[in-house]
Amino acid sequence: MANKLITIQDAVAEYTWDGMMYSHGAGISVGCDSVSFGREMVRQGRKHLHMLTHCCTQQLNLLCAAGAVDKLEIAFTGLEVYGFPNGLRRAVESGKVQIEDYSNLTFGLRLLAGAMNWPFCPTISGFASDQEWRSGFKPDEYPCTTKIPEVTNPFTGKQAHVLAPLKPDMSAIHVTMADPEGNAIMLGSEWCRFELARASKKVVLQAEYIVDTDCMRQFPNLVRIPDFLVDAVVYAPFGAWPQCSTGLYDSDEEHYYYMNNCMKTDEGFMKYKAEYIDSYKTNSEFLAVIGSERAGALKKTATAHLMDPYRKWIMSDEQIDELTKKGGR
Amino acid sequence: MDYTKQEMMAIAAGREIYDKELAILGVGLSMLAGYFAKKDHAPNLKDLTESGIYGSTPVGGLPWGVEDNRIAANATSFTNMIDALGPMVASGRCDVGIIGAAQMDKFGNVNTTGMWAEPANPRYVPPKTRLAGSGGAPEIASGCKRYIIMAAHEKKRFVDKVDYISSPGFLTGGTARDGYGFPGGGPCMIVTTLCIMRPDPDTREFMLSEYHPYTTIDEVVSNTGWALKVSANVKMTSEPSAKELENLREVDTTGMLRKKE
Repeated sequence: MANKLITIQDAVAEYTWDGMMYSHGAGISVGCDSVSFGREMVRQGRKHLHMLTHCCTQQLNLLCAAGAVDKLEIAFTGLEVYGFPNGLRRAVESGKVQIEDYSNLTFGLRLLAGAMNWPFCPTISGFASDQEWRSGFKPDEYPCTTKIPEVTNPFTGKQAHVLAPLKPDMSAIHVTMADPEGNAIMLGSEWCRFELARASKKVVLQAEYIVDTDCMRQFPNLVRIPDFLVDAVVYAPFGAWPQCSTGLYDSDEEHYYYMNNCMKTDEGFMKYKAEYIDSYKTNSEFLAVIGSERAGALKKTATAHLMDPYRKWIMSDEQIDELTKKGGR
Repeated sequence: MDYTKQEMMAIAAGREIYDKELAILGVGLSMLAGYFAKKDHAPNLKDLTESGIYGSTPVGGLPWGVEDNRIAANATSFTNMIDALGPMVASGRCDVGIIGAAQMDKFGNVNTTGMWAEPANPRYVPPKTRLAGSGGAPEIASGCKRYIIMAAHEKKRFVDKVDYISSPGFLTGGTARDGYGFPGGGPCMIVTTLCIMRPDPDTREFMLSEYHPYTTIDEVVSNTGWALKVSANVKMTSEPSAKELENLREVDTTGMLRKKE
């Protein structure tokens, strides 16, 4: 059995680099995202990222506040009911980050086109809006001058619009559970992780639980990311915090607002970095930073029953530690 | 008045969502309007969010997002974004959707992307104010058979020309939208904290159709940034009934619509 378990520090060191085209995400602003992976990227000081973020999350907010982002392609830059991301807003309005806007569906179709290795992908939305012709990046960086160009449909002779494919250098994808080889099950909305895992050149999974492969054999229909797409698996409990992970914990209202408030200024970001990024190394230290009382309250989620069928295959921290020590490749 | 303007807006939007329809509900207050309709008069409403969460009834108050645990707790199906916004919405299958707007014009074109100090430019200019981006609203605007635009009524939001068209409405009016081959019919109403506007069938210009019980035609017109025309059949919106308010508040258990005017 291939064992791909490595630490989050090793995963960031090995699979990310300055200037890369980095993608992440899962749920959108409130749902699960690989936020812990983003914290580690900030700690390791990644710079000049070209982000492919489907919808803004606290990970993107944090990376923008850290000054780690140069370019951003995105469909949604809010934080849903939690408001506007202050780190992103500051970076965009100051001109530090250039934004290329797409819609949720057109962004997903670009990932699908990347996954399929299509030359381009037709769309029935996105055009007739300013997304068709206003470009975040200089128009001369494209071979064509319109972002969503018009072509002639060869079958009908009518006009049609097409999108460019996306192929991220690497994506860090949050999943509910993975086995050590990288087969993964996601509870809740899958959002666009099926396509993202297939469009990306490298994939690192960030899992809330590590389970025995027998779990995958019991529910093979639910394994939407198969092991051979995956380069590494990271065990990261509460890895989406302060966002939610369906079946495990709810979003942390208090910390969500606190974190976003810190992203308003450089000083606030530095304070947050000291408190919630530089303050831990291991999973147990991270859980201590969150606090057991807070974590316990968040785990009282109305979605807890969704985890019931899988519990008997969950590996213990000791088993995972052992596999991680000898794991990797 | 024993209800808030936000509650009036949610009820007015919810009244236009009918039983047995397929509806896509977006982030925030529009979600409450949809789930209110389901509780009040549309028990067989088929609801979905763009994250691919189908058939749920929210628990614990306004969901924080379209994928939040508050709607994941009792859904009948979880799929994904492409499924929800593609085959269900952009294809033309969905009956009705609701979108929000930071800025809109008289033809129902919506801006949720940003505010710029200078005129539209194909080359990148940082916005003066960055907004939330389009999300899935362009799919709702292109694909839903009809959709409702919902926004707080502030003069600055209702402008002659939006800074950026995030979601196309009737574009320059008349038949301008027809050439694009969208399966959806375009915006059917704008619901605000003061009124309901509906498009003229020929010019597609939005006109004042109903004003809420606590306001006047003059107040609505003077709070609209474009020269708002008043429909010949203009009337007062009917007051929320006791049953409607009770049903809305059972959905809005955290009181998001009662927090501010």
